[in-house]
Amino acid sequence: MATDADTGAAQSPPTPAGWDTRPGAVKAGPLAMDYRTWKMLGYCGLIFMATFIVFWGILAGNIPPFSPNADPMQVKQHYLDHALSIEIGMSVCLTVTSFYMAWGCAISQVMRRIEGQNSFLSNLEMMGATITAAPIMTACAIWLTAAHEVSNLSPETMHMLYWFGWLLIDLAYMVTSFQIAAISIVFMRDKREKPLVPSWVCWWGWVTFASFFPVCLIPFVTTGPFAFNGSFTFWIAFFTWFIWCPSLSYYVIKAVDRLKAEDAAAESGFGQPVTTH
Amino acid sequence: MEGVWVFIGADMVIFCVLFQSFMQDRKKDPTLFEVSRHALNYNFGGVNTLILLTSSWFAALAVDAAKRNNLTEVPRYIAGAFACGLAFMISKAIEYTEKLDAGISVHTNDFFMWYFSLTGIHLLHVAVGNVLLTMVWLKARRSAFDSTHRAFLECVVSYWHMVDLLWIMLFPLLYLMR
Amino acid sequence: MTLLRNPATIVWLVLVLATSASTWLLSKDAFSPVVGTIGVFLIAAVKIRLVIMRFMEISHAPRPWRIYFEAWVVGATALILGFYLAS
Repeated sequence: MATDADTGAAQSPPTPAGWDTRPGAVKAGPLAMDYRTWKMLGYCGLIFMATFIVFWGILAGNIPPFSPNADPMQVKQHYLDHALSIEIGMSVCLTVTSFYMAWGCAISQVMRRIEGQNSFLSNLEMMGATITAAPIMTACAIWLTAAHEVSNLSPETMHMLYWFGWLLIDLAYMVTSFQIAAISIVFMRDKREKPLVPSWVCWWGWVTFASFFPVCLIPFVTTGPFAFNGSFTFWIAFFTWFIWCPSLSYYVIKAVDRLKAEDAAAESGFGQPVTTH
Repeated sequence: MEGVWVFIGADMVIFCVLFQSFMQDRKKDPTLFEVSRHALNYNFGGVNTLILLTSSWFAALAVDAAKRNNLTEVPRYIAGAFACGLAFMISKAIEYTEKLDAGISVHTNDFFMWYFSLTGIHLLHVAVGNVLLTMVWLKARRSAFDSTHRAFLECVVSYWHMVDLLWIMLFPLLYLMR
Repeated sequence: MTLLRNPATIVWLVLVLATSASTWLLSKDAFSPVVGTIGVFLIAAVKIRLVIMRFMEISHAPRPWRIYFEAWVVGATALILGFYLAS
């Protein structure tokens, strides 16, 4: 495995005079690492999840979702009854979903340390995390619009908007699947004695990956475990993902500190470049 | 590789959630479920169980052969397990076609929604298992597995045993519960 | 022949017999539905435990995993039979 660009810097001796040794300080030089911002991005996944649970799940009433079996009149009535809380919930979610994208960048930077120069899986992860934000934001915008416009729209249109949001947010899962797969593959290749991300998190990623597939059945059923409020496609699929995100976040945040220590050891110790294996 | 147990454990819990969901729906209309069950052919189900049990047996023998450094036997047993997996898939295809020809589909009623969904998800697991067994077979033919190098072999075989045990529960749940 | 004396083969034979009993004996009208169904699921539980302990070799696994898998068998069977009897 190639040594990565950061440890390549260890090959030229550092100039101690140019160093600011305060904790978290950005070192001068072309390959200085901003560990503090990196770590902050690592927390963004948790911010997204927590906010989403509160504002999409609880406030907008999606735990569990309003029935897919509801007819247009019932959907319109649901939105008439809960317009304000749905509007607030969806507005916040529309804004906060971008934190998932930011989180993806923190993860991919950790992955790059393991992948080395050919970091296409790190790129895939970053793209997966970024594009995951798109269907979520768009679905939230659709539901926000439905709540905002409920008095002007026919029940049929309300029903259509309701389903539009659910079909989009659920069936675009494969973008997230690519993100998860890239993460699991790279972190399972970590050859450190104590890997940056333990194998159980990677395997839980595969569980999450697998749990998304039955979502394909959502368009075809309105009741039972594969409806968008069903025991599988809602409870299991979201549950596995909502466990994976904090678990991975914990280790990614810790990894930044560990990598910082590795970089410091590489720069101070004997001028030897530290390889990632 | 030890993390594969997390995957297996989680998959088994997920199926438990599905069993619970099924039983909950059955409780709402046991008569419908009982009547619909009669459209199923338990001979198919019983034979399928025997097929998967045999494939698990072959898979266990493959791991055993690797432990005893009997490198030539490993690919043969894996091929046996794969053949049984293939037979299961063909049998299921015949069974599904029979149902669809009789006008029974996932939309017919709740029982058949569950029948197709549960056996369908299980069938996907079998298909994935067959792909993994193929990978293992290709490696085994190049003598990749022996007493000290069998982690990947054992992972795939463990997954395959899980596929088997899930069917052991699914079969009576759908075909025999009266 | 070593194959016949292999423990895996013994397990397989037991599983085949148990399956045949469940499928082609207990499902018959000679047994009342309740007795038949409970019997079938108890046999299934024993079969699953055999696969887990003998084929998957969980009997050699660390204690937490053994407990987990034993609990799964008991839990899944109890769950199904519980709902069945409550129906």
